[in-house]
Amino acid sequence: MTSLLKSKLVIFSVAGWVICGGIGESAHGQEIKFQRDIAPILENRCWDCHNQESHEGELRLDTRQGMLQGGGSGVAAVIPGKPDQSYLIEVISHLDPDLKMPPEQEQLPRQEIELLTQWIKQGAVWPGQTDVANTIESSHWAFQPLLRPDLPGRIRQGSNAIDVFLTESLKEQGLRFSPQADPISLLRRVSIVLTGLPPTPATTTNFLQAWERDSSQAYVKLVDGLMASPHFGERWAQHWLDVIRWAETNGSEANLYRKNAWVYRDYVVRAFNEDKPYDLFVREQLAGDSLGSGEATGFLVSGPHVPAATVGREPAAIRQARADRMDEIMQTVGPSILGITIGCARCHNHKFDPVSLKDYYALTAVFQDIEFGGRQPEYSAEHPLKQQGDKLLVDIETVREKLRTTGGWEENWAAYRELHFPAVTTKAVRVRFKTTYVGLDELEFFGPDDLSQNLALRDYGTELTGYPADGLENRNPIQRISDGEYGTMAWRARVEKDADQYPYVQFNFKNSELVDRLRISSNREYYYDTDYLERMPGLPRYEFDVDYLQEDGTWKPWVGTWFVNKKLNEEHPGRKTLLNEIQQLIQTHGEQGPQPSFVGRFVEPQVTHVLLRGSPESPRDEVNPAGLELFQGNLELTSQTPGADRRLAFANWITSQQNPLTARVMVNRIWHHVFGTGIVATTGDFGKAGAAPSHPKLLEWLAAEFIEPSANADAWSMQNMIRMMVMSKAFRQASLPNSKGIERDANARLLWRYPPKRVEAEVIRDAILLASGKLDQSIGGRSYRIHNEKKTYAQWEVVDNHGPHTWRRMLYQERMRRVDDQIFTAFDFPDCGQVRAKRPVSTTPLQALNLLNSPFVLEQTRLIAARALEETNGDQSDAIIRCFQLILGRPPDETELAVCVQLTREQDLAIVCRALINSNEFAFLP
Amino acid sequence: MSNPENLSPLGQRLLDRRNFLSTAGLSASGLALTSLLDSDQLLADDPKTVGGKTPIRPVIDPHNPYQSRTPHFDVPAKQVLVIYLPGAISHVDTFDYKPALTKLHGQKPPSLPRVTFEGPSGNIAKPFWDFKPHGETGKMVSDLLPNLARQVDDFCFIHSMTTDTSAHPQGENFMNTGFTMEGFPSFGSWVTYALGTEAQDLPAFVAINDPRGLARSGKNNFGNGFLPAAFQGTDFNAKNPPNNLHRPMGLSPQADRGTLDILKRLNARHLKKYPGDANLAGRIASYELAGQMQMSVPEIMDLSGETQATLDSYGVEGGSELRGQYAQNCILARRLLEKGVRVVQLFNGSDPSGGNGVTNWDSHSNILNTHAMQAEIMDQPTAALLADLKQRGMMENTLIVWATEFGRMPFLQSNGTGRDHNPNAFTCFLTGAGVKRGFSYGESDEFGFKAAIDKTTAYDFNATLLHLMGLDHERLTFYHNGLERRLTNVHGHVIREVLA
Repeated sequence: MTSLLKSKLVIFSVAGWVICGGIGESAHGQEIKFQRDIAPILENRCWDCHNQESHEGELRLDTRQGMLQGGGSGVAAVIPGKPDQSYLIEVISHLDPDLKMPPEQEQLPRQEIELLTQWIKQGAVWPGQTDVANTIESSHWAFQPLLRPDLPGRIRQGSNAIDVFLTESLKEQGLRFSPQADPISLLRRVSIVLTGLPPTPATTTNFLQAWERDSSQAYVKLVDGLMASPHFGERWAQHWLDVIRWAETNGSEANLYRKNAWVYRDYVVRAFNEDKPYDLFVREQLAGDSLGSGEATGFLVSGPHVPAATVGREPAAIRQARADRMDEIMQTVGPSILGITIGCARCHNHKFDPVSLKDYYALTAVFQDIEFGGRQPEYSAEHPLKQQGDKLLVDIETVREKLRTTGGWEENWAAYRELHFPAVTTKAVRVRFKTTYVGLDELEFFGPDDLSQNLALRDYGTELTGYPADGLENRNPIQRISDGEYGTMAWRARVEKDADQYPYVQFNFKNSELVDRLRISSNREYYYDTDYLERMPGLPRYEFDVDYLQEDGTWKPWVGTWFVNKKLNEEHPGRKTLLNEIQQLIQTHGEQGPQPSFVGRFVEPQVTHVLLRGSPESPRDEVNPAGLELFQGNLELTSQTPGADRRLAFANWITSQQNPLTARVMVNRIWHHVFGTGIVATTGDFGKAGAAPSHPKLLEWLAAEFIEPSANADAWSMQNMIRMMVMSKAFRQASLPNSKGIERDANARLLWRYPPKRVEAEVIRDAILLASGKLDQSIGGRSYRIHNEKKTYAQWEVVDNHGPHTWRRMLYQERMRRVDDQIFTAFDFPDCGQVRAKRPVSTTPLQALNLLNSPFVLEQTRLIAARALEETNGDQSDAIIRCFQLILGRPPDETELAVCVQLTREQDLAIVCRALINSNEFAFLP
Repeated sequence: MSNPENLSPLGQRLLDRRNFLSTAGLSASGLALTSLLDSDQLLADDPKTVGGKTPIRPVIDPHNPYQSRTPHFDVPAKQVLVIYLPGAISHVDTFDYKPALTKLHGQKPPSLPRVTFEGPSGNIAKPFWDFKPHGETGKMVSDLLPNLARQVDDFCFIHSMTTDTSAHPQGENFMNTGFTMEGFPSFGSWVTYALGTEAQDLPAFVAINDPRGLARSGKNNFGNGFLPAAFQGTDFNAKNPPNNLHRPMGLSPQADRGTLDILKRLNARHLKKYPGDANLAGRIASYELAGQMQMSVPEIMDLSGETQATLDSYGVEGGSELRGQYAQNCILARRLLEKGVRVVQLFNGSDPSGGNGVTNWDSHSNILNTHAMQAEIMDQPTAALLADLKQRGMMENTLIVWATEFGRMPFLQSNGTGRDHNPNAFTCFLTGAGVKRGFSYGESDEFGFKAAIDKTTAYDFNATLLHLMGLDHERLTFYHNGLERRLTNVHGHVIREVLA
């Protein structure tokens, strides 16, 4: 065996936490002696249940270590020196309504509680035991360091290292690989596994010809071509999105659409197509904002969430909802990257795996700056959206130059109105509204030089006054328009129609400022976060005038909505074209440039506490952001570390060699998608409750090869890993059963055959569209919609799930949490609520009905038939052959042809296509 | 075969599994092995025994996942009807009689919270309808529900219900899936997963949605979560058949048969290559089942054979249009249960997308009107359904559950006309198979603000429902992401007192 890691490797954490507290230090009053004062109490009251044999609640109180470690609740029973933080004192004093100790008895005499309190205060001295420290360790295989095993044999011609391991375990059962699959099956299998699309008839013809010449050469070329196809990334992105239950709605009551969340989906597609190293892929998803791939943090907010607006006004409910949102992040990070269910440790120490309550909250501390919402993603300069956006901004600036010669003008940026005016230097500006009502979440001023600095911002030192300052019902104060917060927290004010004073706002700058534009909005957050509502909060349409303060202390009227939109337009009739042009460019920018996207927004991190029983109402000790203690997760971070730094440090740790899980979990996941079942069948659970690996040495070898390829290849290359698997003999063998294999290993876990299985919803739908020739193969962009626009509190309804605008790959169908698309949801399409490491495959009559009778299928069968007839010049028999090739990738045999000819004569060709689409052959991976 | 000592871990496990299968008296033929091992559950480590309880995993035949399976223990209930009232019906205005509210009407509530779900709280309000004693038990029921009131001697009330949330969608999730969060299997899907169904030509689990649409948690209430899709509720009601059930317009019966003939041929040819493959055979069987459903579902939806007396008793005519539609849904529920459908979930309310201004029981303002409008829809048809089931002797083997997600406050909101959400006390009732009759369990405090005696959690409630269906809530599990998941998470106690 060769050690994979060159540096020295320590796997078990020792000395988990250091015992503190002044031992032997005497507090006020008498010194407590353990043997005299404490041991009798423990013996009488505690040790019956909390001892070596019977540790109720997983708690031992017969050792000092047991006390410090605490029980399954995850909090320490005793913290030396701190009786007020020691859970033991809390439960014997009956302060915790849910846990009173000793159980079903009167409270201990006051004197005993006092003795225990004093003992803890004095350092919980327990002679002979004080120096014992806690350890977290595990002998479970998945938590051991990665060691590359030697190959158990020689690599034979036509096979690779994978086959060597597999052959060994097949031999043990007296089994061997099946013969090579026939070329048509192999072509269909590898095409679907790699790209999610079956081969076209033209590809089939070419491949069969090449196969005749040199089968292995033909296969190599085929695999190269498929992996270079942009559809490769689409296929593998679908798997990754499944793992993290990514969807484009919130779930929960309103189930609102997540605006532009799809930029994350496209990021994943690109990552697979560009063969982004997996460690970088992981790091970017955790900390992309620091790495020039801001959109990658869509990963963190992929789970469902309950928006603040639907939680209600009770403070405890609001805290609970935030804790639930943090838990969704934990549920994403744990199973997807680490392959362990961290979520179990939310309320108590993990029952099976060495993950403590403290670990869980240390992990939540890493993500304290994340909230579910949208922001402008930090794109790299090469990002297509960024490039297109920059290009459009240059065009916009060009038009602005021309407009500037005519005076001010107004632009509609959908999220806000932007009023441009001739630049002026001043110490104060004033906005006078001409309406009796205003509702604004923010009002911003900018100068020509720095568009990132809102000069009106309170934090910039600008002073705000105005009228009516307290707003409606004295509950909607004016301060909200310069607090930098967008959303429903707005200044709302109303005056009587005949009032002397209409609403106005005045900003006094700290220093003189050059200003040339203002932005005004009523609910920019809604615009950033969501879409497809019947009634989106509109832009403020109020008419207003703007004055600036002159040196002499008088106000000069400078610009206004009427002035730029009416007067100037009349004076310069020619600028109408320019205004149209700029608005057109802005709209294009809105479609093609970087946009606020639902990839998480950043908030000020709060100090994180361990929560007893997971309840935000029972905060305990403060915890620092950290990775798992099991893998030396101490990141040297504190509650003061900025959020982005926390996530970056964590990202580096999780992809470091301290953590053997990241590589193991991913190679296993790839194996699952290539062979149908993971080497560890429970792909999201490598813990003790998960499945044991079927081929432990193979898994280790693959994980090692992933990180440090033996040939001169890229580390962490997902494409290389996938290629190695599909090039194996195991992958290329036939899927046909044989009695010996069925008898000894019915499920083919040992891979004596390639195990056939039903394909996913996406493959069925995409293959139908490919057959009809109607599949729009463009990559990425906004999802196609099948639903209505709805009211905020209403259910999404399917409006059109089959029309031409839906003729794209199903990866681009809006992924709506818990909404039935009325065709393919029935095929075990995930509801995206809970993390599902893999899709179950079930068979229901509803699937049959949908595939027989849905408008989508019927329409497509007609289109396939029409295509076939056209391509065969209307020859009925040839057209039938063509339909078989288009749908099943093979010609019909004689009898099939005969019955189909008859049916086509009696009915029509589309009816034949309907049968082909419903056949098992079409729905199963051969 | 080689020496077991030298086997790889998988080989060893396969061997163990075969031993397990033979000792369990199951066929160890290749076919059975294939189908059994095909589930993630069996590939996972052996079920962990938690708290002395070993999970019982139903053995599901992929040929027919709906095959009727035996419960964990014998019980009278063979099927279950859940009548669900989205929006939270007010307990203090219906079944939970609180004279203290009349006494303190208009006063500031003593030591009650100043802020509830929707904001500041107002004054105590007496029930909006008068209470009178009913039946031999003399149970106090308000005039809001005159028809249900006549049957109180059959009901088993639980007055001490509590939940963990005061928001509707989380509340619906909690009552119907056992978790406030998204994505967990519904009660109906758990029961179907455990027990299959008696009626092989109908869906095992039918969700009859309100004529106004889905409730706020939408598909969660009858979804399969992480259970296989086979166990999700099929969504249809008296007006709308399941999606894609019918042969489409423009497709002749001959053409339809033509498709199926060719399909049969194609599948037979394919199966010859993969003899004995259970998944392929299962898919072929699912097409046969689909064909049967195309006959049986329209038949069951056709109410034309119902007598005028039945229609009248349910209130199909003579009331609001919505009552008429809900009444037809109630008749559909009975017809489904008659055929042996395992789980029927009947909704009386929807999301606010509904239409007539009142879409469910949520009554933050003008409760006097909104509850009255909902009650007009719910009361008579529901009472008629229960009476009908009783008259047909179906109560003997049908468990009936009447439930909502929380209660309403004993005091008004600051608007003075509505009651806010109350997660601390509400009322549900059970009746039918295995349930004590004319009984009330638990009490809320003198205001109906908080459960006071025999506090009952949603976990306890669901544990009890499973028990009544012959299922041990601690042993009915599904391996998912590292855990043996249960409807009741790690909580819940069966309420023995309500068992007959």
